[in-house]
Amino acid sequence: MKRLAACLMLAWATVLPAAAAELPDWSGTWTPAVGDQMRRIKTDPVPWTKAAAAQIAALDAQEKAGNPRGLFIDCLPEGMPSWMLITHNALEFLFSPGRVTLLGEADGNRIRRIYTDGRTHSPDPDPSFHGESVGHWEGATLVVDTVGVLPQAYIAVSEAVGLPNNGDLHVIEHLHLAGPDTLHDDLEIIAPHVLTRPWKTTRIYYRQRGRKYEIVEGVCLEGSFTPGTDKNGNAVFVPVPQVNGNPKPQ
Amino acid sequence: MKEESSSFLKKRTKKLLDSGVRARDQKSSSFFQKTRPFVLAFLAAWPAHAHHSFAMFDQTKTVTIVGTVKEFHWVNPHVSLWVYTAPANGATPELWTIELTSPGNLTRAGWTRHSVSPGDKVSVSIAPLRDGTHGGGFKALTLIDTKQVLTSDFLEKPGLK
Repeated sequence: MKRLAACLMLAWATVLPAAAAELPDWSGTWTPAVGDQMRRIKTDPVPWTKAAAAQIAALDAQEKAGNPRGLFIDCLPEGMPSWMLITHNALEFLFSPGRVTLLGEADGNRIRRIYTDGRTHSPDPDPSFHGESVGHWEGATLVVDTVGVLPQAYIAVSEAVGLPNNGDLHVIEHLHLAGPDTLHDDLEIIAPHVLTRPWKTTRIYYRQRGRKYEIVEGVCLEGSFTPGTDKNGNAVFVPVPQVNGNPKPQ
Repeated sequence: MKEESSSFLKKRTKKLLDSGVRARDQKSSSFFQKTRPFVLAFLAAWPAHAHHSFAMFDQTKTVTIVGTVKEFHWVNPHVSLWVYTAPANGATPELWTIELTSPGNLTRAGWTRHSVSPGDKVSVSIAPLRDGTHGGGFKALTLIDTKQVLTSDFLEKPGLK
């Protein structure tokens, strides 16, 4: 009976939202270890299916030749899991009761809402770039389960090389401090339409406290406009017509 | 790129050329005639302003541009810098476009939106565009008058100042 009560207590504790005082300190701004992102592609190779690998090889060749189209030049969000995999920009964590929120920098709409209030996944979540994330704390580790990601969201290994997940994507993450100011995101990426098995890899982020490291606004499409003046003298943005990132002749 | 360029391109080209004339020697017509092909080539090769790969730049090479800043756009996701070269022996000035990382990352490298201004004399090291047109990915910049050196190098460790 005692054992049953202990098991129930344990089960109860794992689904209860952790009190803020018990949570680890993840304040500050976190900058990605970009060099390590590139190294990990070699040490933790992506288990692409044969068909996917052929497409990746073609994209690799385009990138090496210097003329890739790029995966993100349309300013759509990188989404999951690419944001965590390849970002060169900072991110921050906000803890609030029953939720952890990730805010990113640049490219707009980089936000992940991770619900830690004990809920389970929705039966049929609306697909989105970042999917539906449910998390819980295992000690000082945040375990996040993400489903409901758009099939169009890329599994990217760089800004020019990667493939859409093509559906049924499932991402499991263990986020934890590996040192006082070093955070690891241990990812397990399950994408049955493009991967032969779950891809396990890690991404590293470093904590910065300096004020100049604070997140700044970054609107991806801003670069597609140029400051101008309308007929009434108002300061306005004027669109720059583009084709594949180049101004479009009309 | 032919004459049927968009009205935007014509306006932008004219704006660039007009101010370039003011910045240089007031020889507007001859300057325009000489520089137009360069400017149009530059516009055609203008890299994506949206978030893109930097593979278009040949990182194995370094080209150093010495000249005068034409424009400095502190904008996401990639900051842009335009520099007119100051060629010796009366050769035609060339307009080069240089692409940098984001304002957030540059801020962390010590930049502000006022770090570089039109008219500044600069020496800029770049990884050149692979297609040979006048542009590249930023490596380092020296403000010639003050000798200040600016880079966009990222240190990858915690607790940076």
